[in-house]
Amino acid sequence: MTTAVAPPLLEDTELGPKAGGFYRHQNIFTGLGFGIGLGFIGWLVSHALLQGSNWGSDMVVTCTMFAWVIGFNIGMGTFNAPIRWMLGHDQTHEDELYAAGVGQGASRYLKFCTDHKVVGTQYLVLVMVLFGVGGTLAMMIRTQLITPHSSFLDPQTYNSIVTIHGMVMIIATIIMVSGPFANFIMPIMIGAKDMAFPRLNAMSFWVVVSAVPCLLATFFLGGVNAGWTTYAPLSVQAPPAMDTFALTIITFVVSVTVAGINTIVTVVTMRAKGMTMGRLPIFTWGTVVGSALGLYAMPAFLLVMTMMITDRATGTSFFVPQIGGSQWLYENIFWIMGHPEVYVILLPGVAAVLEITSTFARKPMFAYKVAIAGFVAIGVLAIMVWAHHMFTTGWAPNLAAPFMLTTELISIPTGIIFLCVIGTLWKGSIWTRLPMYFVYLFLWNFIIGGVTGIYLSDVPADQYFHGDMFVTAHFHYTLLGGAMIGATAAVCYWFPKMTGRMLNERIGKVAFWVIAAGIQITYFGQFWEGFQGMARRVAYYDPKFLDANVMSTVGAYILMSGWILFLYMMLHAWRNGAKAPANPWHAKTLEWKVPTPVPLENFLVDPVVTSDPYTYGEGVPDGQEVPDFAPSEEPELVPAGSTGPGDPGESGEVR
Amino acid sequence: MSITTTDHDEHAHDDGHDGHGHGPAVEGAENPGGQHETAYKRDQKERLLIWLLIGGDLLFLVLEVFTWFYLRTLNVNGMWNGALCTKANPCTDGLGNPITAPITRADPKYAIIIGVLAVVAAGFVWVAEVNAKNGKGKRSVAGAAGIALAFMLAAVAFQIYQFQVLPFTTIDGAYASTYEFFMGSTLAHLILLAFLGMGLWIRAGKGRYEGKTWYRVRIIRFFAVWIAISTVVLVTVGAIFY
Amino acid sequence: MSFEDEVDAIEADTILGGEPFFSRAGGKIFIIWLVFTVIGVLIGFYAPHHLLPTLLSPEGGDVWATIVFFTVLAAPVAAFVYALAFYSLIAWRHKGNQDEPPPDAAPQRGNGPMTVLWLGVSTLLVVVLLFWGITVWSAQQISHPNTLQVNVTGQQWIWSYSYPGTGVSTHTLDLPLNRPVQFNVTSEDVTHGFWPAALGVQVDANPGVVTVIRSTPNKLGNFTVQCSQLCGLYHAFMNTKAAVVTPQQFASWLQSQGATPSAANTEAGTTPTAGTTTAMASS
Repeated sequence: MTTAVAPPLLEDTELGPKAGGFYRHQNIFTGLGFGIGLGFIGWLVSHALLQGSNWGSDMVVTCTMFAWVIGFNIGMGTFNAPIRWMLGHDQTHEDELYAAGVGQGASRYLKFCTDHKVVGTQYLVLVMVLFGVGGTLAMMIRTQLITPHSSFLDPQTYNSIVTIHGMVMIIATIIMVSGPFANFIMPIMIGAKDMAFPRLNAMSFWVVVSAVPCLLATFFLGGVNAGWTTYAPLSVQAPPAMDTFALTIITFVVSVTVAGINTIVTVVTMRAKGMTMGRLPIFTWGTVVGSALGLYAMPAFLLVMTMMITDRATGTSFFVPQIGGSQWLYENIFWIMGHPEVYVILLPGVAAVLEITSTFARKPMFAYKVAIAGFVAIGVLAIMVWAHHMFTTGWAPNLAAPFMLTTELISIPTGIIFLCVIGTLWKGSIWTRLPMYFVYLFLWNFIIGGVTGIYLSDVPADQYFHGDMFVTAHFHYTLLGGAMIGATAAVCYWFPKMTGRMLNERIGKVAFWVIAAGIQITYFGQFWEGFQGMARRVAYYDPKFLDANVMSTVGAYILMSGWILFLYMMLHAWRNGAKAPANPWHAKTLEWKVPTPVPLENFLVDPVVTSDPYTYGEGVPDGQEVPDFAPSEEPELVPAGSTGPGDPGESGEVR
Repeated sequence: MSITTTDHDEHAHDDGHDGHGHGPAVEGAENPGGQHETAYKRDQKERLLIWLLIGGDLLFLVLEVFTWFYLRTLNVNGMWNGALCTKANPCTDGLGNPITAPITRADPKYAIIIGVLAVVAAGFVWVAEVNAKNGKGKRSVAGAAGIALAFMLAAVAFQIYQFQVLPFTTIDGAYASTYEFFMGSTLAHLILLAFLGMGLWIRAGKGRYEGKTWYRVRIIRFFAVWIAISTVVLVTVGAIFY
Repeated sequence: MSFEDEVDAIEADTILGGEPFFSRAGGKIFIIWLVFTVIGVLIGFYAPHHLLPTLLSPEGGDVWATIVFFTVLAAPVAAFVYALAFYSLIAWRHKGNQDEPPPDAAPQRGNGPMTVLWLGVSTLLVVVLLFWGITVWSAQQISHPNTLQVNVTGQQWIWSYSYPGTGVSTHTLDLPLNRPVQFNVTSEDVTHGFWPAALGVQVDANPGVVTVIRSTPNKLGNFTVQCSQLCGLYHAFMNTKAAVVTPQQFASWLQSQGATPSAANTEAGTTPTAGTTTAMASS
């Protein structure tokens, strides 16, 4: 447009030798050092003071792991900013640039870095590691179950593995879309320079990292044999591993709450000029509703796990009936968290699928406002269905019918999502690149998962199916087959923007078919087991379930191979993949309009948005453009994009 | 080094706002990552943050109170062990033997003391905010903040002290358990408030809330008022529904 | 063009007009839909029939009927989504150079009637499913005269059954044919799940409370009672044998277990309604 010179990139700024203060010396190694050090001190002190008291080992474990969490975060620099705030010694502009990673190259990924793109990438790596751990535990479970009375694992170890597999996967699936993509992509997508609270963003990542060793420590403290739902009173009598399990959750809750607040505030307050809520990409809507649900659910998790620790370490009577407690108190509060939590997992993945479908069908999103209404309806209903996990507990049988009502009602807005995906595909111009493969797999799997949920929502049928492998198959279909496949599609879609490389789609398509087949074989095997009446969370089973279990285990090995191939594809592309152009998918959302790699603060000039990002085929200029740099003039405002069906134009292609 | 925005608007006012809600950055405003943002924008973000945080904490409070009434109503195995034990629905020692008298009630005067201290602390934060808004100078802001901090610390101290003078322990049944849990929750929240109060006092003394940044005190005031409310709710429930 | 030719030309453009049915879009979608519906319905009949254990009570029969009914209802709906998804790949998949996106498609941001139809059909389905579920569930809550009381106690890791009034206490469960049974279930320690799957009922065994579930076995046979709620180390082993026997066999079995003579007719009296919990179970 003009011959003006672009301003220097912030990344090239020279910072003084003192910029950043303590941050200069803090990274994951100091984090580990301080964490282990303070944890050891915590152990020494609590052991000296408390070991002899009642429940001494519970108290010692709790204090030690708490000290680890605090120490790790001190060493990472999480508390630097709050303490400086309190002392009135605020960070300078240079400190903040340092904190954003300026001048540090690749080492900033090992540090407390406030750049949302760094945090997003860190989350992506963490999620991959967590899926590796959780997946390995899953393979141990399936290997045990390939024969009715295996000597592979003893029951205590098996039950502990089942528990930790569940919890690792819950953590991984909660953060698998909101961690990498709501952090890296979403701020760019709304035209912002970063998240609303960049320091809180980095904090939420490192707090999750500090929680993971707490969870894995359970294996060294006797194992938690109560399932990821850790029902009381069984969990109250579990070995000290349960204390560190509860502390994991308390720590994790802090991270998710902060991250959720950050997402919501970012979307509400930091949208670019012209980006009204009605022009917001559907992915952003999904992450906002998911975050809001998380904000609702996490306090319940915090409460129930704190009460668990006090029941174990101080003898309170919350959950143990013999001394005045109620296991139903535990179950109710747990599921008040637990059901919205699965929608925290699902909604961002679904939103990514909707976003991807529009791009790869070269069509506007079908019934955009209806989809938003669907998300909100799911969010509201999710709060009202929790006791469908308790149909067979004997608690309040008179409430069975109302909860059956609300649960079955949720299928209506969920069905709307399918309407929107199918409507977008209808008469589209479908470009079957790798992300689109996973969109179709999502559709296939989520129908099966959703339909089987309807059986479980029927109270009489649930009396047969509760606690059996049918339930396991149902939620794996929805969470793995649905949400995780949606996340996989998101990875394939945004990988070029996040890493600057293109994935090798030939390998990807092979991995796709192996994963698709693996999912069906594994979980149809488990539906089979469920129909036959095999209980879940069992280390041994009646030989009549053998065939179904063999099918499921074989399927699991196939699925594992598919994921390993997919992982290989990612890692290989990350190092050696073809360089990605800025907009390989010719998509219209703002993140594709900035160069790859994305500069610090994303935009050299604030974008001005004049339409939603779904103007495919409408023959209007793209309403979500980043103008060329022109410091001395206002960018020319283009006419607002049309909002109804219009002429596709001659070429039909609008970039 | 700064990024030029596309807004050069004749409507800009001196208070940092312009006709469209944007404007030149306030001097000294912290800007992570180097972005310049207006005081208005920063206030909007921080207010939403504090409201969302309060919302989550509100849910936590609701569930705590639910727990109290749930266990009290069920009186499982007769072990609520508070005053609602009647001849018809006696409390037991856990082995089926009715006990003649429930455990000693926690002294309600602590409920009053701690509740009042929390409310007064919030009140003085409000005074600090008003002083800052009206440009009364850093001495009066810091003065009010200091008094607020004193009350916060007093509330923390009394709460810790109450643990020591309690006539029961956590093993004495459901009333005792839930009461002590309420105390612990109140203590944790008061400590968090005291951290903010300490920061408020120190920063006010350094003049951080003079001029356009008075709104930052308002955000702390929101939180202080919330803590006062939740403290009063918890101590009241604990004192009355024995 | 003559009028008829014009009509033909217009119809040829639309889905429902023009060429023979099965080579048009609607026809192809219909075929795919039909295939998936048939598969779904077959699964709906095959799975319960071949995979469920032999069900020995009307509650079990309700489970079977619910599975069939829900599958038959759900199959066409699921098949519809699948048919459209598959058809989209057949008809609208861009087949050219995959490195560049195909030209944009004609935009269609919404279709009010379709949305209303979709919402309407899903709501109708939900109403039907709810009506079914509530009807079946309510029928199971009715208490009957001459109900046999069985006290079930779970503990780590075995089930115990006692027949009140007879003094008989065993680790295997025997039930007489065609007599309503009420299980009063509790636990000695942690939460267990009392799961006689063949009877189509289940309820948790909770310490400190008694939960109630009812069934009327109406077929002879052997079955297993499992534990459906993870309860610790040997949860997988917490299975007991059970059987539905003829009333004569039941009576003589009770005798052989040392039942008191008056107990051969266990009392019918008032029974608590479903789901009431009483204070600490005495046993």
